[in-house]
Amino acid sequence: MRTGDYKQSYGELVALIDSPPVWLWSAVLLLALIAAPFVLNSYALSFLMIILITVTGALGLNILTGYTGLISLGHVGFLVTGAYAYAVLVSRYHMPPLVGFLGAGVVPALASLIVGAPSLRLKGLYLAITTLAFSFIINTVILEMRWLTNGARGIQVQRPEMFGISFDSDAAFTYLCLAIAALTLLGTLNIRRSRVGRAFVAIRDNDTAARVMGINLHAYKLLAFVTSAFITGIAGALYGIYLSFVSVEGFPFLLSIEALAILIVGGLGSALGAVLGTVLIVLLPEATRLVFSLFSAQMDATFATGAQELKSMLYGLVIILFLRFQPRGLVGAWHDIKRAWVHWPLRY
Amino acid sequence: MTALLTVENLSKRFGGLQAVADVSLEVSPGEVCSVIGPNGAGKTTLFNMISGVLRPSGGRITFDGIDLSTISPWKFAAVGIGRTFQNLALFKHGTVVENILTGRHTHLRSTVLDAVVFFGRTRNEEIAARQRVEQIIEFLEIEHIRDAVVGTLSYGQQKRVELGRALASEPKLLLLDEMVSGMNQEETEDIARFVLDIRDELGITVVMIEHEMRIVMDISDRIHVLNFGRKIAEGTPDAIRLDPAVAEAYLGGQRAEAMAKAGA
Repeated sequence: MRTGDYKQSYGELVALIDSPPVWLWSAVLLLALIAAPFVLNSYALSFLMIILITVTGALGLNILTGYTGLISLGHVGFLVTGAYAYAVLVSRYHMPPLVGFLGAGVVPALASLIVGAPSLRLKGLYLAITTLAFSFIINTVILEMRWLTNGARGIQVQRPEMFGISFDSDAAFTYLCLAIAALTLLGTLNIRRSRVGRAFVAIRDNDTAARVMGINLHAYKLLAFVTSAFITGIAGALYGIYLSFVSVEGFPFLLSIEALAILIVGGLGSALGAVLGTVLIVLLPEATRLVFSLFSAQMDATFATGAQELKSMLYGLVIILFLRFQPRGLVGAWHDIKRAWVHWPLRY
Repeated sequence: MTALLTVENLSKRFGGLQAVADVSLEVSPGEVCSVIGPNGAGKTTLFNMISGVLRPSGGRITFDGIDLSTISPWKFAAVGIGRTFQNLALFKHGTVVENILTGRHTHLRSTVLDAVVFFGRTRNEEIAARQRVEQIIEFLEIEHIRDAVVGTLSYGQQKRVELGRALASEPKLLLLDEMVSGMNQEETEDIARFVLDIRDELGITVVMIEHEMRIVMDISDRIHVLNFGRKIAEGTPDAIRLDPAVAEAYLGGQRAEAMAKAGA
């Protein structure tokens, strides 16, 4: 596509960012995100936090569903497990937040082994139902284990203090979310360009051929579950801190659907897609509210009272529209635009 | 010379259907060997058992001194068995390079934790793998399509990518399942040339299932003939050409007699 873009070493061929313009734009984006807390008001900043936390979670689901092709309808189960792991360790047992974050990754990863085990034999819809069941079972387990989780009353969570820095202010907490989201994105992209990522994608595209290539299907499917749950659990901890209160109600089933909607809208199996999809899906209800509030104040009130219901309707609508008109998602649209830009005015 | 692959009394039964019955054969190192037979003779089932896609119902496969029933099917690639598939089994969303890189799987070591960091050993390993893939791409003369998504390529090109993916695992034994079906004369000749180069330059033993008799007769050292799951003949191309049992399997009883008379 690009002209005058010559590789001179094999190192350049495996590089993540291989051209100066991409370096430049990535740096500009990062600087803009770092500057954001100084520019945005606290309402807009809360959206930025949600986007960054959701990106982390969506990247987690992307490893399992996008790369490995194992559909999970119960990812909120890992989110809530991570949040509770953090809350119990930090708020209840007064561990350092760093230990809390580690636990928020490790506990869901262990739980994923239990859900992942049936995935070795189940595919498609059956696996989806198994994961769905898992997320409901987890809720019940949390509600019943009162001695540990406080049951339905939930656990208060403070904003953490790590490396001698207090993340109490909105700006500081945004930076924490940004750091974790950026590292997750980098890690995901690194996995994708390595042996492990190729094995995941091979399992998705053709599991018989993958096995003939020497890929241990059982081990790699479980690895996809564990990696995915680890990342999702960390996102759950961040979300719990954001809410400042961890309870089962804070993690409704709709979040699982939202995560799948993000992947479909962004473009399945693409880290960039997960990021673009997150931005669209998180901002969609707000954008819709803004548009409707231009027409009448009553519309605005309807949005305020029926927010959850309208959200799920919007997600459904967006999924249908994308599957019909842009099945490759926003990433597909982005590639088309790039192609058109390079080849204009010729068609190809 | 001891055989690289020994198949003894191998059987596969699907419910009431005996797909492969009591087949025995040996493949020596450095051979190009063909398995032929009419449709439904059990050729692909035989390949599936040797490559670990199916478990045999009976009999034994020994490869390079290892009884294959004692190891997990996913380890077959690591002991040195590579294959291509009759109906293409590429990772169709990936590029040519990615597909062939996937074939390197057994030669790479990085774990998920190494991969996340992608530094030092992992990076060097990936660079070395990429270098090897470029050599394979050059060998198969597919430089011009290396960055193309395989789903968009022609059938002949996809077959070649599949061959590249199998070669990337550096197998000792390469099983080719109907490589040239649906290819034109020129593409078929290219593949014949590749098969001979694979044996002579890379030292890989090749077993191929083929319906295209010209390539079978031209480049095989040895031919095994299957019919209705049983082995009916084995020998050099010249011997197989004259074998009455083979003529009968392919042409039917009466025609074969007529042919024999006309020949005599």
